[in-house]
Amino acid sequence: MAATQFVVNGLLVGALFAGVAVGFALIWGVVDIINLAHGEMVMLGGYTSYWVLTLVTGNAEGSPLLFLATIPVAIAVLFGIGYALQRILVSRVIGTDIFLTLLVTFGASIAIQQLAIQAWSANPRSIQVSFADPSMNLAGIVVPKMKLVAFAGALVLTALLYVFLQKTRTGRAIRAVSQNPEAAALVGIDVEHTRAVTFGVSSAIAGGIGAFIAVILNIQPQMGLIYTLKSFVIVVFGGVGSIPGALIGGLLLGSVEELVAGFMSSQWTLAVTFTALIVLLVVKPNGLFGQGAEQ
Amino acid sequence: MSTSDEESRGVLRSVLPPEQVDRFLSTCDAYGWQLLAISTLAAAALPLLGLEAGYRMTVFTEMFLFAILALSWDLVGGQTGYPSFGNMAFFGIGAYATAILTKDFALSFPVAFLLAGLLAVTFAAVIGVIVLRLRGHYFAIATLGVLLAAQQISRNLDITGGASGKILLQTPSGETFYYLFLGVLVVEMALVYYLSGTRFGFVLNAIRDDEEKATAMGFNTTYYKTAAWMLAGLFTGFAGAAYSLFNTFIDPQTAYNGAWNVELIAMALLGGSGTVAGPVLGAFGLHTIIEIVETYAVGWQLVLLGGAVIITVIGFPNGVVGTLSEYASQMDYYKHGGMAATDTDDGSEVSADE
Repeated sequence: MAATQFVVNGLLVGALFAGVAVGFALIWGVVDIINLAHGEMVMLGGYTSYWVLTLVTGNAEGSPLLFLATIPVAIAVLFGIGYALQRILVSRVIGTDIFLTLLVTFGASIAIQQLAIQAWSANPRSIQVSFADPSMNLAGIVVPKMKLVAFAGALVLTALLYVFLQKTRTGRAIRAVSQNPEAAALVGIDVEHTRAVTFGVSSAIAGGIGAFIAVILNIQPQMGLIYTLKSFVIVVFGGVGSIPGALIGGLLLGSVEELVAGFMSSQWTLAVTFTALIVLLVVKPNGLFGQGAEQ
Repeated sequence: MSTSDEESRGVLRSVLPPEQVDRFLSTCDAYGWQLLAISTLAAAALPLLGLEAGYRMTVFTEMFLFAILALSWDLVGGQTGYPSFGNMAFFGIGAYATAILTKDFALSFPVAFLLAGLLAVTFAAVIGVIVLRLRGHYFAIATLGVLLAAQQISRNLDITGGASGKILLQTPSGETFYYLFLGVLVVEMALVYYLSGTRFGFVLNAIRDDEEKATAMGFNTTYYKTAAWMLAGLFTGFAGAAYSLFNTFIDPQTAYNGAWNVELIAMALLGGSGTVAGPVLGAFGLHTIIEIVETYAVGWQLVLLGGAVIITVIGFPNGVVGTLSEYASQMDYYKHGGMAATDTDDGSEVSADE
């Protein structure tokens, strides 16, 4: 069945979209900022993994385990970048006109993009991971093993974020700041630091996902905006600040895109996605799973 | 804040006293129409005084183009408070309309130009009814989505030439475009300047400041928002309509250029959004800088643009005109013994809006 195959492909890719979107949703929910540079974090994570692997093996190829070992590096580097981004730039515009916050992150986004082009050229790159038997066949449905690994990785990262927010002290601080920054400050939470950690954590997850994207798709300096926008679609769909909502939204978006690509043409996926976004915004601005923002 | 800050302000005051700035600004306000007429005549006279068609004239023409785009954006983004990231969609539709009408339907350029404007307005009306129901982040992203969807559709259709675009060889001379863009800019400036003194302009500002209150006062805000949006669509569409022939080439990437969309926002913001002169001055200033960077540091213009946007937003979000008028009113504060500055000249809200 072609449709089943498309849906399976869509779910596999959709988990990655979901992983990018949860970070986006987290920043939106906690700091009330639409981080238009979020896609650039995915891009930078992909490049970090790519260059670490190149440094170790001489070319961007390696065994699955070696590749998986680069992911903590990408996560650590991107945590630092996200933390710095919040501390240096975004913290200066929090609480001002939302339009200014959008512009600051957009400014950061295009500056990072072009710096990446200058540093690494605009050519798409990808990481080659060698499997003895690259794909398996389950009841007539072809599943590439690497996509399965990426799928699992994205789910693990998303689950880790969920556990982090629910169980750890820092996670509780993040949720407190999200609910009421003044009250959080009153009980002794360093709000600025917590917001920066939020940015760091969300960028770190985006970076980890970026590494998987470098394997199963490809990376290039201008890829970021599409991921930012897809995250937006997913978050609007799932509801602001809702991790389960973002997960379901991501899987759904992946499936829809693959179905459109399969039955129409891959050229139309973006147009369909954004048309769906606009329709969704108008019809159901609060999302399906969240309380939604007031605006 | 700190004493060194105070000292530097003191130095600034002796070099450039706020009273003079204030006098300068109120003179500008009082003679707005005359200023507009004089600068129009000066700009129109440039080609007669020896500005020949070529690189320099192209740069000037592009300045007018960006001024049109920035002012159109500001009508909705600055005056009404709806920050659009999708204005370039109108531009692209205008650009493709003239390209297709002159090349495939063999219409003359003036007819195609007018039709393109009409098409952009129609599109603005349809899209406006949908997206203007949204606000804040949702509006910004929805407009960006419109832009990207329009780009993708142009890339996939046959009539637009797909991803490779359209090459247009039969185009009017460089001087025609110089005067055309100048003409559109002047008409738009006059219109926005006129409107900002009318009920229409005040309602737009009221929507920006507090839309609920504006609604509660009995204004049909949807009508005003959509009208402003369509006006912005008309002028952006005209700019695009002329641009495709001016550039002799159009493809989805240039017609729906997301980076330009940010550029024109940066221009409006740098100059001072919510004013008439601000976006135009910002467009002239930033385009000059971008032109210099493109000549001497190719490949870094987006880094510079991003940096400029960030510094403006963090440093002085009111822009040049806004910061100047704030500075000008500082002295009033002291003169009136700490009372709020009140302006005796009427009409001051026109170009120094806040």
